[in-house]
Amino acid sequence: MKKYILSLIVVVALSSCLRLDDNLYNASKLTEYKLDNYTGEVDFTLDYSYHIPDSLVHVFTLSSQGADESSATTIYAIYIGDIAQIATDTVIMYCHGNKDHMDFYWQRAKLLANTKSKNRFGVLMIDYRGYGMSEGKPTENGLYADTDAALKWLQSKGLTNNRLVIYGFSMGSAPATKLSANNYTLKPSKLMLEAPFASAEVMVQDGSGLALPGTTVTDLQINNGEEIKGVQQPFSWIHGEADDFLNIDTHGAVVYNNYQGTYKESHRIPNAGHSTIPTTMGFQAYLNAVGNFITNH
Amino acid sequence: MLKKIALFICCISIFSCAPSHFIKPLEKKQHVANVSLGGPLIKFGTATIPIPFITATYGYGIDSTFTGFASVNITSALYGNLQMELGATKQLLKQKGYFPALSFNPVINFIYHDSKSYKLYPQLDINAFWEYGKRKNFVYVGVDNWFELSQKKAYDLKQQNHWFVSPMIGHSFVGKKWNFNIEAKVIAPNLSNEKLVVDYQTPFRNKGAFGIYLGYTRKF
Repeated sequence: MKKYILSLIVVVALSSCLRLDDNLYNASKLTEYKLDNYTGEVDFTLDYSYHIPDSLVHVFTLSSQGADESSATTIYAIYIGDIAQIATDTVIMYCHGNKDHMDFYWQRAKLLANTKSKNRFGVLMIDYRGYGMSEGKPTENGLYADTDAALKWLQSKGLTNNRLVIYGFSMGSAPATKLSANNYTLKPSKLMLEAPFASAEVMVQDGSGLALPGTTVTDLQINNGEEIKGVQQPFSWIHGEADDFLNIDTHGAVVYNNYQGTYKESHRIPNAGHSTIPTTMGFQAYLNAVGNFITNH
Repeated sequence: MLKKIALFICCISIFSCAPSHFIKPLEKKQHVANVSLGGPLIKFGTATIPIPFITATYGYGIDSTFTGFASVNITSALYGNLQMELGATKQLLKQKGYFPALSFNPVINFIYHDSKSYKLYPQLDINAFWEYGKRKNFVYVGVDNWFELSQKKAYDLKQQNHWFVSPMIGHSFVGKKWNFNIEAKVIAPNLSNEKLVVDYQTPFRNKGAFGIYLGYTRKF
């Protein structure tokens, strides 16, 4: 009997330091970016009318270093547009989701580059550390540091706060909201969130059905539901009513309702799932919603 | 949003993470240790697997109709939580022919991570069992009832579900020094499993979850 109890104590004592956070990130690696030639899974593929000339597609690296880091991490970025025009253009900083890398999200970024008209707005997208060809290991602070590194690059090209729009999809809603609410290199003039999540605790509670504290399984501090209270800029929220991953009511609506800034608008899309808002709405309707928010508010 | 996060969230489905404990009371002054493995079925990649919850239990026969027990959830301990169950089994009726014996289990479940993260869940199981054969193997059916006492959840949203009912069926193979147990449980069939990050696999389409559990009991 004693050896059973002793074994149990040893197992518990030795193993009580694990967390589930390491399982959070889907950081899949690439050896090159193929963009239009990418043949892996994507949410949708645009036809040629949305094509962007090669001369306006720039793949490059950035150096990202958080305030608490002793060395920099090299991450990859794609800018869609004329870099020389950043000093006068409006730019959409697109923070992609967790499912994959920039090849996967290329169609979404390219779609945004067609907002209002082709290349009316510049679009910048990065692969967070650990994703695609970016070096390093994904972390929550890394999301913020990497997005801020992108803002530094935009600032170096002449972008100012009033011409920066930040757009976060799914997990990308975390850096988009964080950098809108707090003082980083640039302060976006507008915030757009597509299918945002409220917090890890809501994920825990949705998954279990219980009012269980999120910290019982995760140290993840992302809390868009609270962070949004610090956002004063105009805010647009878009969410699929049939989202079976991040529930529109427990995630997106919480973020939307907690916003206390100057202007907000919501787009609840009937029959749209987590990844199908552009296709369910239709690409032009989606682009009109994005473009009208950017130009009218 | 993500693929792996489904696994991440699955690991917090703490209710019904263990099979029913002592359906039939132990003999008076009998000590046993039990290890069980299993949980709700989920889709993981292309495969359907039970969430691998591991629970260790100690039981003691206070008298021939009343058994006390304590369990530790090993899987939850891997994540720094002390998750325990303290409970008892009381036999109410003896088996008479085809009429089964009846027992019930009042249980207190608690999970503690730190001074800001802890919860307590009462549970009441009601069981019927039929012994048969020389070794007194037994078949059982029952209902687990978990209760969520909190009225609010994150962001002060209303906690909608307070009663998690889980019908189950199982069989115990009885040996001289050991028991082997297999159990299937329909978890919360009254609740929708749609619009969740967890991809529960169940024969009941968009309702609840379906769990499979194996248990080994050593008698002392």
